[in-house]
Amino acid sequence: MGVTSLLARWASTCVHVLIVEVPGWDESRMLLEAELDRRGWRIALSPADADLLAVCGMPGVELRTASDLLWNQLPGPRTRVSVTTPVTLSALLDAAVAHLGDDSRQRNDAWVRSHPVADKDPTADAGEHESMVHDGMSTEDADHGGMEHGDMDHGGMDMPMPGGIPLAGGGDDRDGLEMDVLHVPLGPVLPHWPPGLVVDCVLQGDVIVSAEARVLEASSPEEVPTTAVTDAADKRRRIVRLCDDAAKLLALAGWQTAAQTARRLRDDELLGVDITDHVAALDRLRRRVERSMLLRWSLKGIYLGEIGVGARADTGTAPPENLASVDIRHHLIGWLREAAFLAGTSSGVQPPETSGADPAREAQDALAALPELLRGADLGTARLLIAGLGLDTAALAQTHEGTHD
Amino acid sequence: MTEPIVQVSPGWAVLAPLGLLLFALAGAGLNGALVARSVGRPLRSGARAPIAEVARLLRQRRQVTIAADVLLWRIGAGGLVVVATLKILVIPLGPWTLADLDVGVVWFNTMDVMIWALFWLVGWGANSAHALVGGYRFLSLAVSYELPLMFALITPAVAARSLRVGDVVAAQQDLWFVIWMPVAFLIFCGSVIAFSSWGPFATAVGSDIAGGLLTDVSGVDRLLILTGRYAVLTAGAAFAVPLFLGGGAGPLLPDWLWMIVKTALVLAAFVAIRYRVPTIRPDRFAEVAWIIVLPAALLQVLVVAIIVMGS
Repeated sequence: MGVTSLLARWASTCVHVLIVEVPGWDESRMLLEAELDRRGWRIALSPADADLLAVCGMPGVELRTASDLLWNQLPGPRTRVSVTTPVTLSALLDAAVAHLGDDSRQRNDAWVRSHPVADKDPTADAGEHESMVHDGMSTEDADHGGMEHGDMDHGGMDMPMPGGIPLAGGGDDRDGLEMDVLHVPLGPVLPHWPPGLVVDCVLQGDVIVSAEARVLEASSPEEVPTTAVTDAADKRRRIVRLCDDAAKLLALAGWQTAAQTARRLRDDELLGVDITDHVAALDRLRRRVERSMLLRWSLKGIYLGEIGVGARADTGTAPPENLASVDIRHHLIGWLREAAFLAGTSSGVQPPETSGADPAREAQDALAALPELLRGADLGTARLLIAGLGLDTAALAQTHEGTHD
Repeated sequence: MTEPIVQVSPGWAVLAPLGLLLFALAGAGLNGALVARSVGRPLRSGARAPIAEVARLLRQRRQVTIAADVLLWRIGAGGLVVVATLKILVIPLGPWTLADLDVGVVWFNTMDVMIWALFWLVGWGANSAHALVGGYRFLSLAVSYELPLMFALITPAVAARSLRVGDVVAAQQDLWFVIWMPVAFLIFCGSVIAFSSWGPFATAVGSDIAGGLLTDVSGVDRLLILTGRYAVLTAGAAFAVPLFLGGGAGPLLPDWLWMIVKTALVLAAFVAIRYRVPTIRPDRFAEVAWIIVLPAALLQVLVVAIIVMGS
């Protein structure tokens, strides 16, 4: 009693949370992240690291399947919450802690998980498949959502299949050497990843041979909160989004302190803290990013080509002469500059770029360009490229709604 | 001036891992405090975070992936703390040492090559794409840092004309080696950060591959790996002291206490750098390591050798 409850109490002060973000619910995710920071909790990088699965928004069928699969990969003690409104967030997390600390319930949960056949599922093969998914924790195809579970498992029957997974086939890599070929879906749940995006990759080593991109949607497009969770004005929302994109890219570049600064600016903006000193803070961050030689060197030569460059024209700087030579570091600096510019204008002025650019079209172009962009890139570069796109998957969901009408 | 190094009875060896773990805990506490400061929480709560983390991981169930190579996976996870402990055996604490090997410097180098295998096993054993990519990344980084590290280790030994760590300390009576071999010192520190998969060299456990080596590790396995990383970082910091920072030399305090103080300072510097710089990507680093860092290390050995021959 004494030791276990003591451990439970200590453990409850740093819960690790795996966040599943549904397209269109980014503000819920940001509010959750801000609350986690306040509590000193950590964001889990993978399900094996998580105690709490937090689904932000109302997922569609596929995304719900993915999050259920992730739920099965949480080692336990575990609990899950669904975050849709900021009002109850704190109470929700308090309840989650109580559930995590409840030893008897957690033991019960562990027992049920280790006896999957004892569930009231009558059909034998369904039960078998169920147990396979249960155990299918992050093998290469089940990793992070494992959307391609089915077609991976039932290939070549004559090959040895350890654990029901066929061995990887070989293929010539870019240097003409034979190398294993793995089929790995990236997403829909990864740290600093556009919500709902799935990139089905064929990998050799850590190099992407080919890729296909798709987006898993929210439950129904009408339910996407177009007016959003907070009542921030459009301009503010744009600043929040720019800061969020910058924070993601900085985090992927491994620069934690700068990413944290960007996140804090984002949270202040989201919660409506006084806007005047934000211009200075955003400028400071931008100059810091511009000055860093290491970041320049690390991101050098990672180009997005023409994608997404056009929209950023009117932020008080001359457009670069050669668009193709704009690497993602320039995008990052452009985002921070635009955010500072928007924060600096008086509240009546409309943000300049909303007049011309259509976010949905832009996002669709970016999604269509992804396979070509990622081919031949290693995973690290691919992640930076995707983050550099600043892909707005919620806007994609809205165009989908448009085509349905 | 300093008394010769004495080899103490092996019974004292039980204290070695204990001291190492205390240092590792202190390092993790400092790290927690720095994280807490960055999110605007009280430092004290951050400093306690490692204890909460230990409790959390002890409560967590350890899970296994499909067709995982469990034996190799666990060897990789458990091995880091062992290797770190073996590393510090040859480090003299003031006048005492646990193993007064006449090839102490090489011993340290051997142990850090072991880390290659351990991190690779962690990446391999999980049978998961992200962990495997983490393993690849560590190895490609290792190919870049290992040779410069070897030459950085050899430099003080050349100056001391001995591979015995005690002799290296004794040779710094007049002047600490860090003063006249700064390049070797910097390369050594960089390599320690790299073989601990730490800070700018932490691509093998990067968030872009969902934690890489750590993607599928949970419960006590994760605890062992995280502790092991702090332990090898501590061992590296501790080895920098006899090699470059004059060992236990210093005013007022006894030698053994100076060892501890200096180790703590170096470790604190390593921890502090963790989040402050962007990641150095292994593929980019390879070029720099072989074209700039390795020749610089060789040049440093050459300069030191000429000075030693001349004196």
